[in-house]
Amino acid sequence: MLLNTYIDHTLLKSTASKNEIIKLCDEAITYNFFSVCVNSCYVSLAKQQLQNTSVKVCSVIGFPLGAMSTQAKVHEAKTAIDDGADEIDMVINLGYFKSQDFDNVWKDIEAVKRIMPNHILKVILETCYLEEDEILKASELAIKGGADFIKTSTGFGTRGASVEDIKLMKRVAKDSTKIKASGGIKDAKTAIEYINLGAQRLGTSSGIAILKGRISKLNY
Amino acid sequence: MTDINAFLDFTQLNSCTTNHDIVNLCNEALQNNYHAICINSCYVPLAKQLLSKTSIKICSTVSFPLGAMSTQAKAFEARKAIEQGADEIEMVLNIGSLKSKSYLSLLKDIIDVKLAINGKTLKVIIEISKLNKNEIIKACEICMDAKVDYIKTSTGFTNSGATFTAVKIIKKTVKDHVKIVAAGGIQDYETALKYLQIGADRISASQEIKMTKAQLSADIYSKIER
Repeated sequence: MLLNTYIDHTLLKSTASKNEIIKLCDEAITYNFFSVCVNSCYVSLAKQQLQNTSVKVCSVIGFPLGAMSTQAKVHEAKTAIDDGADEIDMVINLGYFKSQDFDNVWKDIEAVKRIMPNHILKVILETCYLEEDEILKASELAIKGGADFIKTSTGFGTRGASVEDIKLMKRVAKDSTKIKASGGIKDAKTAIEYINLGAQRLGTSSGIAILKGRISKLNY
Repeated sequence: MTDINAFLDFTQLNSCTTNHDIVNLCNEALQNNYHAICINSCYVPLAKQLLSKTSIKICSTVSFPLGAMSTQAKAFEARKAIEQGADEIEMVLNIGSLKSKSYLSLLKDIIDVKLAINGKTLKVIIEISKLNKNEIIKACEICMDAKVDYIKTSTGFTNSGATFTAVKIIKKTVKDHVKIVAAGGIQDYETALKYLQIGADRISASQEIKMTKAQLSADIYSKIER
């Protein structure tokens, strides 16, 4: 298993500077991560740093609250794609979800997917704020809206991914929608556990530590 | 006697905020005659429906709470919020640009939002908890250059909110050129008053933190009349 190819190398804190983004991209090239995941203001810079490499650029949208108007999410996604993003990670509108306004939840997602039919759309459910049955429902709505991946967490909520989250999401996703586990993945053991449960992608800021841990384990 | 409620922006910005929460927020704002409600942009149409024909202003956040959206996306979110009925915009400054000393991009980010909202009130959140003193001063100078209406201390989404020290630094830097909103963790009327006395023009209070109503004398109220 080539763990590095599962990893979206992630830096989303508000204080991230240009130099930190450049470093993130350099690391992604060195370790051959699948992508870098950044806020939309840094898509152009990341794209420039990664040109002529296979590392993709992933932009978050409506991040981390998911409470932007649908039109604003669509425009942010469109701008990110224009700036060079290969993939989009958007946050579900949790307020609509908690209001049981389910139509507007999937329509919010569908509106974003519609402007990027040929790009990968991941929908972040932010499982830390959801009960078990809500995780199932949110997964269904994301898939109905056109999600290519359903993703557990922003990393800005009260907790990240859990084994239970991924099992629940897998029940809905089956083999037709992929799963990204994210938030709090800090070691190879956790990473591998999530992959074995069915996650096809991992979002983490600890990619290098995860790989080093993995390598050192193999050496034992 | 001036009512302190007229200085309050009443906020509900959590991601799980429901339609019902927004209805309650608007009702409470009406009952208490707050200056404004502050909400995320997805709820502007609902708030507009509830508060039309009242004097309560609707303030929409933009690029909240990280400030790390592309400038184009910020300007669009702001323009859309105004079209849908917002009276004021609260955008988060691009903290990454400030940390990178990319002052021109930082200024352009604010100016592009200002241009998108056609003269409506613009507040810029500088998120003091992430800045040192020099960065606070620099952020204030850039906000002055961009001719924003208000500088707001905090989003309320980091580990700390407004401090007296920071509000004093901001006031000393902007003097009377830009107004100040103290925000984040203000839980009682005495604290709110103190912020007003040291230079804040507006107080942001969360719906979740019920401000304890203190019996304040007309004498203290008179100090905040302007």
